[in-house]
Amino acid sequence: MSIKTIADVEFGVELPTFDPDTSLATVSAFAEAVGWGRGGRFTSHEKAKKEGLPGALVPGIMGMGFLTSMIHRWAPTARVTYVDTVFRAPMIADQVAHIGAVVTDVDEETGTVELDVTIKNDKDETRVFGTAKVVLPVA
Amino acid sequence: MVDIEDLKSKFLNLEYDTKTFELDPQRAIAIAKASGEILPQFTDPEHAEFEAVPAMVASLASGRRLPIDFPSLGGIAMDGGKAVTSLKAIRPGTPLTGRTHLHDIYDKSGRSGRMIFLVARMEIFNEGGEHVATSDSRMVIREKPDA
Repeated sequence: MSIKTIADVEFGVELPTFDPDTSLATVSAFAEAVGWGRGGRFTSHEKAKKEGLPGALVPGIMGMGFLTSMIHRWAPTARVTYVDTVFRAPMIADQVAHIGAVVTDVDEETGTVELDVTIKNDKDETRVFGTAKVVLPVA
Repeated sequence: MVDIEDLKSKFLNLEYDTKTFELDPQRAIAIAKASGEILPQFTDPEHAEFEAVPAMVASLASGRRLPIDFPSLGGIAMDGGKAVTSLKAIRPGTPLTGRTHLHDIYDKSGRSGRMIFLVARMEIFNEGGEHVATSDSRMVIREKPDA
């Protein structure tokens, strides 16, 4: 269902899962754009492993980007006013990430929706969790 | 053991860094697209409401991570998370100023010892002096037993 106004949102509903592109090429593009491309931690599995990491990392703030993208896919008219992400464990490039969210509060007067958000890997392990607040048109 | 209340009394809410930024429009688009963004106001520089995604705001780094006289806590600082509050749209290509202070210091203890959390808050203002966003960076330091 396409969400257009606050009247379309139901408490407790899970947003459609979003599996973003976590390929090394895309992660590298993100890292380069935020100025973190040097050193290889985010752009090379080989260089990351030399640092003792399991592989090239997905920057934590890219997880924030995935979350806001998922929210915009769910509700294109939503404005994300707050997003808080806790980096619990590393996300690795070229590994699947599943972005999920559930509606935890709805304020129909202000159009505000609160969400609990998670990023899990294919083993159902939480890598990032957090909360978001979005504002939708009231009518 | 580090006295958290002492650190709070000495360092909370004191601005220790001011830095100017100008978000590059092409980088803003690259960040949005790599994140899977589909809305044109984040990917099309010709859009009337073109703006930066929160993840780009979260990437802004202060000149100093901590106040100049902040004591060493003994462990390695890890990135524990980020939060962004968007108050107004940030249009790439316009000047911004970030002013940073320590917003919170707290600890949590577990089986592996004590972790100290430092929340550095950057308040971001546009050219007109309007507060447009707040970006919190949560640093986590595992305290060494003899620190």
